[in-house]
Amino acid sequence: MRDTTTVGDELTTDTQTAGAPSASKHAKPAKKEREASLWSDAMGDLRRNPVFIIGAVLVLFLLVLAAVPGLFTSGSPFDATACKLQDSLKTPSSSHWFGYDIQGCDVYTRTVWAARNSVIVGITTTTLVLLVGSGLGLIAGWVGGFVDSVLSRFTEIFFAIPVLLGGMLIMSGLQGNAWTVSVVLATLGWPQIFRIMRSSVLQNKNNDYVMAARALGAGTWRITVRHILPNAVAPVIVVGAISLGVYISAEAALSYLGIGVQPPGISWGLMVSDASVRWLQAPHVLLFPAAALSVTVLAFIMVGDAVRDALDPKLR
Amino acid sequence: MGRYLIRRLIQAIPVLIGATFLIYWLAFKLPGDPIQALAGEKKADPLVAAMLREKYHLDESFLAQYWHYITNLAQGNFGETLTGRSVWDKITEAFPYTVNLALLAFAIEAVVGVLAGIMAALRRGRFLDQLVLLSTLLVISVPVFVTGFVLQLSLGVKLKTDFGFDFFPVSFNEADGIRAYLLPALVLASTSLAYVARLTRTSLMETMRADYVRTATAKGLPRSRVVGRHALRNALIPIVTFLGADLGSLMGGAVITEKIFNIHGIGGLLAESVYRKEGTVIVGVVSLLIIVYLVANLAVDMLYAVLDPRIRYA
Amino acid sequence: MRGATSAKWVAGAVVVAMAATACGTGKDDSGSSAGGSITVVLGEPQHGLVGQNTAESEGAEVLNALFTGLVQYDNKTNETQLAVAESIDTTDSQTWTIKLKDGYTFHNGDKVDAQSFVRAWNWGANQDNAAEGLPFFAKIEGSDELAPGKDKKPTATELKGLKVVDEKTFTVKLKAPFSQFKTMLGYNAFYPLPKAFDADPKKFGEAPIGNGAFQMDGVWEHNKQIKVKRYDKYPAEGRAKLQGVTFKIYDNLDTAYNDLRADTLQIVDKLPVSAMASVSQEFGDRYIYKPESGVGYIGLPLKTNPEAFGKVEIRKAISMAIDRDAITKTIFNGTRKPADDFINPLIPGYRKGALGEVGTYNPTKAKELYTQAGGIPGNKIELGYNADGGHKEWIEAVANQLKANLGIEVTAKPFTKFGDMLTELGDQKYKGAFRMAWSMDYPAAENYLRPIFSKVAIDNGSNYGAYVNEEFETLLDQADKTADPAEALKLYQQADDVIIKDLPYIPVFTYMSSSAYSKSVKNVEIDAQGRMDLAKVERN
Repeated sequence: MRDTTTVGDELTTDTQTAGAPSASKHAKPAKKEREASLWSDAMGDLRRNPVFIIGAVLVLFLLVLAAVPGLFTSGSPFDATACKLQDSLKTPSSSHWFGYDIQGCDVYTRTVWAARNSVIVGITTTTLVLLVGSGLGLIAGWVGGFVDSVLSRFTEIFFAIPVLLGGMLIMSGLQGNAWTVSVVLATLGWPQIFRIMRSSVLQNKNNDYVMAARALGAGTWRITVRHILPNAVAPVIVVGAISLGVYISAEAALSYLGIGVQPPGISWGLMVSDASVRWLQAPHVLLFPAAALSVTVLAFIMVGDAVRDALDPKLR
Repeated sequence: MGRYLIRRLIQAIPVLIGATFLIYWLAFKLPGDPIQALAGEKKADPLVAAMLREKYHLDESFLAQYWHYITNLAQGNFGETLTGRSVWDKITEAFPYTVNLALLAFAIEAVVGVLAGIMAALRRGRFLDQLVLLSTLLVISVPVFVTGFVLQLSLGVKLKTDFGFDFFPVSFNEADGIRAYLLPALVLASTSLAYVARLTRTSLMETMRADYVRTATAKGLPRSRVVGRHALRNALIPIVTFLGADLGSLMGGAVITEKIFNIHGIGGLLAESVYRKEGTVIVGVVSLLIIVYLVANLAVDMLYAVLDPRIRYA
Repeated sequence: MRGATSAKWVAGAVVVAMAATACGTGKDDSGSSAGGSITVVLGEPQHGLVGQNTAESEGAEVLNALFTGLVQYDNKTNETQLAVAESIDTTDSQTWTIKLKDGYTFHNGDKVDAQSFVRAWNWGANQDNAAEGLPFFAKIEGSDELAPGKDKKPTATELKGLKVVDEKTFTVKLKAPFSQFKTMLGYNAFYPLPKAFDADPKKFGEAPIGNGAFQMDGVWEHNKQIKVKRYDKYPAEGRAKLQGVTFKIYDNLDTAYNDLRADTLQIVDKLPVSAMASVSQEFGDRYIYKPESGVGYIGLPLKTNPEAFGKVEIRKAISMAIDRDAITKTIFNGTRKPADDFINPLIPGYRKGALGEVGTYNPTKAKELYTQAGGIPGNKIELGYNADGGHKEWIEAVANQLKANLGIEVTAKPFTKFGDMLTELGDQKYKGAFRMAWSMDYPAAENYLRPIFSKVAIDNGSNYGAYVNEEFETLLDQADKTADPAEALKLYQQADDVIIKDLPYIPVFTYMSSSAYSKSVKNVEIDAQGRMDLAKVERN
């Protein structure tokens, strides 16, 4: 039974990664040197790839923006006296590049400060998903048998629940901020990594070099860390890199539905949601955060995409 | 094959039960008082509220409520909403819209996505390829609610008011037939379409390098036949898998699209039920979605055997 | 009904009807010259269409077309006029004699007799039916026997206070005198029901048989539409001009507005915020903009947080720090008016400028009062609102003004629904100020006072701040007992003065209804509850 499900799961993996077809299948039984060369090859590739360079520069910029928004704007979105209703919905000008929102607050300041939550959600969710997903996937693949069956069915439950619905159900009961959103997205997102990790482990554990290591008396832990993990990591990284952008987008969708980041917190999704009420009247209020959001997702996806291409030996 | 099918179906049962239990619990844990919610902004009359709570067992424990639900369900009764409507009626009212929308979106993403992917793969590195790559990156990056607004306004409103071209209805109206679904389906399909295009491109490029494709080319078969008969068939496996899993999410994930275009489908029903804390509706709808998901996945696994003769199910 | 806009709690609920016949093919269903069909907006009603069980605006909109009550209200003056009733008389405001006109029939041909009202009210008052309108019958003698409380069985099925005298006459005895009873009778909980209702109330709600100018055309198609057609046996003077009306059900008002612009929808009586900036320009005199019965307040939790809001000076300071003009003009594009009385301007008894100084923006004086009173402990408050009703913008504006003018740290706090805020307020978990709105059930000054600020309204109404003032109670009781309408009104105004002095809630604005209709219809009127008067509408 395992064999058949393995086939299915392995392939399903590909669908989920969407961008990384069969990366897992082709993570060849590698020795240490080969592993190193895969990574250094990849680095070499990336350095020559304009998509990666543009994406990486943008990502770097966003990280700085998120860490020290004060570098880019003197205002603060939490200073009420800065907002005057007389300025409501004024269009962009030389002193206020992005214009004003309905409350008469500076859209530029808010857009800059909102970067932080998006970046937090992207990175936290991805980290959590990688930790939980690969941890459980490793266990399921390595231990096998009953544990594997139970874990696999369990993942299917999460897989079957649509993300937005799950998000709505869980978020409605929580105080929405970047951290809770991350936890919820991770709760719904880990099965994807689980599957990839599990099938990588299944593929690798019966390989000769693992057998050899075992025959030489290596413990389970050592085999896992030294031999299984390094081989399974590439496909996981590939999916993780792309998902980062997807999670940022998901946060925006939740916030747009009113169940993501809650005021007084700010997020691009929330800004778009607020502005969408009057977007015919004052399109600039919607435009700037929407553009910032799109560019951010784009940047992360560009990087993820480039990393995937570089790590997938078949695409060379 | 038959035994495999039965085993898969049996395995689906715990998944289904586990998921309903989890969802029912989440719905139970939703904050707020559904009876007060019925009364809007006026305080619910204490007596009326108490009578309703008793009628719908809302004053009982979680397990007791779940038990009522499950025993009713076992008799084929999906229960009643707090406003006295049959949950089954509500679901069957909403389902056709969502199915139509999802199928059209599915068709768009499959056809357009695969075609774009094939063209990109065959013109690797050239302008067309770059164009497909870039545009799919862009589509993936722009959130659905932005795409929705832009398309609704540009194709639905502006095209009519500025150019008198009245093809895309602004909002959903059954009388418009399939036209009514076009814009929302396009919006719904957009992200997945981008994925399908990229997936097809990589997958096809990979198989094009396989030995049997090289052999076919060497035999002197025309390129169209090599691509169509040999390479594509194999390259389709990951795409089919993606599409299979995506059908479920197209149906369950259309909340935003349905909201923008005023389609009274499953997404809207779910959003409303979560808002009103209608546990019975939430679980009913989700169970249905899970069944769709499981069946689609099973169908995909069956398709593997068709696409790849090496895969056999015992 | 309920708090203003309560009907729209469904996130962004919208309603519209579509003129399927009118637009699609250009063909009309019948040859009648004074005919034609239109489509208007609606949100999915909550319950089956039974007046006694409907307390939200969408169901009420349809019921308004299907039923005619004992009285109705003038679209312009809001004065109570007799409709099905020939006369409603009393000598002591406690026992009322109601005589019915000839000529009204139910859509199945049954006569509208005294029994049809008694039947309906008995059903609504019986707790076993858990009807939303139950509280409206509490004033009638014998209501306690039909609604003895949870875990108890009703000991009667008929209200003792209702007596059928003859086919066209019945009397109502109240538990205590209530001078506004006649005004109250226009509310949909008091609509009549035909005999056919008894057979299957639930089925009835899907295709009600009413006595109004329109009758059902088929059954309610859930989440899609409700079609009604002209009832030709309706008394001639009120007979509908249109052949039929389709209430098309919308979730999203923006969509409805887009359909209105495309003329697939003929009337939208609740315009979305997005339309406000451009609608008057785009629709010209087909844009109807008139005062509506709602009042928007900032509510204060007097009982749960006396430390912060207990002092009247603090409440006055908050009131004077709010720039009502700027908010109504900027945030609402003029679709609200600054409030200057607790009573809505539409209602007999309203006095212009009654709030006086406390209703006037004066940041300097506000800050002075605030400082003198010693401020709020911690200098921090929350301002709660429900995120589902489009309140965020004005609440944030108020929060910003309080921050700027009083130097308080104000956090605008969203709740998913209004009820969630109420629950937390009731459990003493939430101690912040909150948004609150009221829109009348019936056009009487009394309806702006007792249901919101009286002692009984703490458990059984909208007195969420748990305000209590004995002087206010006494004045209300006196006014209820006063048979002379002018005298009674004076007493209600005195009660109004008491709350103006105490400021238990802070009135911020009154509502305006903004509706628009397409080129293909005319004679569109909107009543005080913001409903379309469909019987008058004609097609061009």
